[in-house]
Amino acid sequence: MAAQLLRVVGVSKRFGGLSALDDVSLSVAQGEIYGLIGPNGAGKTTLFNCLTGLYSLSAGEIHLGGAAIHGHKPHQIVAAGFARTFQNIRLFANMTVLENVMVGRHARTRAGVLGAVLRCARTRGEERAIHDRSRELLDYVGLKHKGRGLACHLSYGDQRRLEIARALATDPQLLALDEPVAGMNPSERREMGALFLKLREGGVTLLLIEHDVKLVMGLCDRVAVLDYGRKIAEGTPENVRQDPAVIAAYLGSEAP
Amino acid sequence: MPTGLDFFRERPRLAFVLLAGLLLLLPFLVGGGLGNAWVRVLDFILLYVLLALGLNIVVGYAGLLDLGYIAFYALGAYLYAWLASPHFGLHLPFWMVLPLGAALAGLFGVLLGAPTLRLRGDYLAIVTLGFGEIIRIFMNNLNAPFNLTNGPQGMNLIDPVSVAGQSFSSPLRIGELVIPSTYLYYYLFLAMTLLVILVAMRLQDSRIGRAWAALREDEVAAAAMGINTRNVKLLAFAMGATFGGLAGGLFAAFQGFISPESFTLWESILVLCMIVLGGMGNIPGVILGAILLTAIPEALRYIGDLQRAVLGHVVVDPADLRMLLFGVALVAMMLFRPAGLLPSRQRKREFGAQDAVAEQEQADLYDARA
Repeated sequence: MAAQLLRVVGVSKRFGGLSALDDVSLSVAQGEIYGLIGPNGAGKTTLFNCLTGLYSLSAGEIHLGGAAIHGHKPHQIVAAGFARTFQNIRLFANMTVLENVMVGRHARTRAGVLGAVLRCARTRGEERAIHDRSRELLDYVGLKHKGRGLACHLSYGDQRRLEIARALATDPQLLALDEPVAGMNPSERREMGALFLKLREGGVTLLLIEHDVKLVMGLCDRVAVLDYGRKIAEGTPENVRQDPAVIAAYLGSEAP
Repeated sequence: MPTGLDFFRERPRLAFVLLAGLLLLLPFLVGGGLGNAWVRVLDFILLYVLLALGLNIVVGYAGLLDLGYIAFYALGAYLYAWLASPHFGLHLPFWMVLPLGAALAGLFGVLLGAPTLRLRGDYLAIVTLGFGEIIRIFMNNLNAPFNLTNGPQGMNLIDPVSVAGQSFSSPLRIGELVIPSTYLYYYLFLAMTLLVILVAMRLQDSRIGRAWAALREDEVAAAAMGINTRNVKLLAFAMGATFGGLAGGLFAAFQGFISPESFTLWESILVLCMIVLGGMGNIPGVILGAILLTAIPEALRYIGDLQRAVLGHVVVDPADLRMLLFGVALVAMMLFRPAGLLPSRQRKREFGAQDAVAEQEQADLYDARA
């Protein structure tokens, strides 16, 4: 088995009296596509927010590549190589498509105020590299000719692609995608599925929240199922599909 | 008119030479045509351009609404007065005092920024408003037990700027040519303004500028892109405050006298209005806003004379009328040009012809990485 990239140990998150996550543990191996499914309100997005530092944990530990990242700030977690997208797309709407991706390079570049004002050779070189890499990434996700337009003018599907390009710009080892194909038609979904496989081949490990069970079953190496903040199943898609607890969570349990 | 602008757009060198010539001759043209008082107005326009460019970094770039900006102007001015006036008997040269004032203001920018990091929008505006007032009230009351600011009387006899033995408060004589004091300050302020414009432009189009824009658009997403939102915010406060402090030092040297009355909340609001009127985030827009909101009130002073000439007595006090027109202008702007007179490039792009650009892009794009 490949090395573990992400290790989540006993993570709990309470909002006042509400327990959104209860002792969730899971681990994602290097190079796999790991699916996270579950009914609405199961705590999938809460888990993402905990993983990426937007929420502080009530209990538990998170390790990325052997180093603890729980309690770190979001920007530190990005620097450690863990990027994400958002369920309700959060692009920089009034910046251009290209600029959105260029912002993603922030974590991997260094120019400060002095560099910006003096525009020394190093800063100019860095700017050029940011520009080139960003265009490359737009091309990679299929937004080659749309760099100049505003992000808010993109179609819905393209906005999702842009979010992925922007997250990729941070050079992540692990990319967490929160419902990346929600609201897309079947052909767009297939294209996105192909993109995920391409990403994996490029060496990025994917953590995927998705409602489209067919897509998850087709793509993911392993799947975990959350229900009411608890992990109720984990395994290969085939095994999980036949798990009685999962069936009960989705369809309700059989009458006795 | 678009055709006129296109003419110059195709000839950038000619436009540059003409603009440079105009800026160099402007005090002579204005002084000759309208009198020396208007050259003084010109000086104030440049000071307000400096202030507006500084506030534009905080409000326009980073999207942090700051209603106490004038406090940094006050700090720069008071530091100049402390270090270059008979008050403490210190007379340091301006090239030493101006950077110190800018640095002090920058430091206070960080001090203001630090406790307000978690605040946004209205809440941030209220806290910064309070900060601006606190500084002014301090300056108003720090004449006892130890006389630091001379209280409401203000500080007097502040050293003028002087270069190579030539004091800017007395006219420069080159042979027959006599260049009055206000003209000299005009050139000094112009140089500073050009410097600040350069800095602001370069900051906007840089890694830091993009981080500010991202912060303005969506703070959570900015953090998720690896931006340290705390540092980037503090940096915006510090940079904006630095420009304000610089302008304050220039103001103190130019006036030779400062008092807390020059640094009221009204001044903060005025500078903010310049940005909003001109076009937030867009440097030419901000400059235009500063010019209009400084020059128009001056021009409206003549309405009193006009009334006296036509009607024999003053019916409406010009000062009241100025405020009225000011309000009407802002309301009209909100209705007809909500993005400002010269909106920022993002908004312009929405309507701009993109075809030529797209073709250019296609030509130099890269092959798929696959």
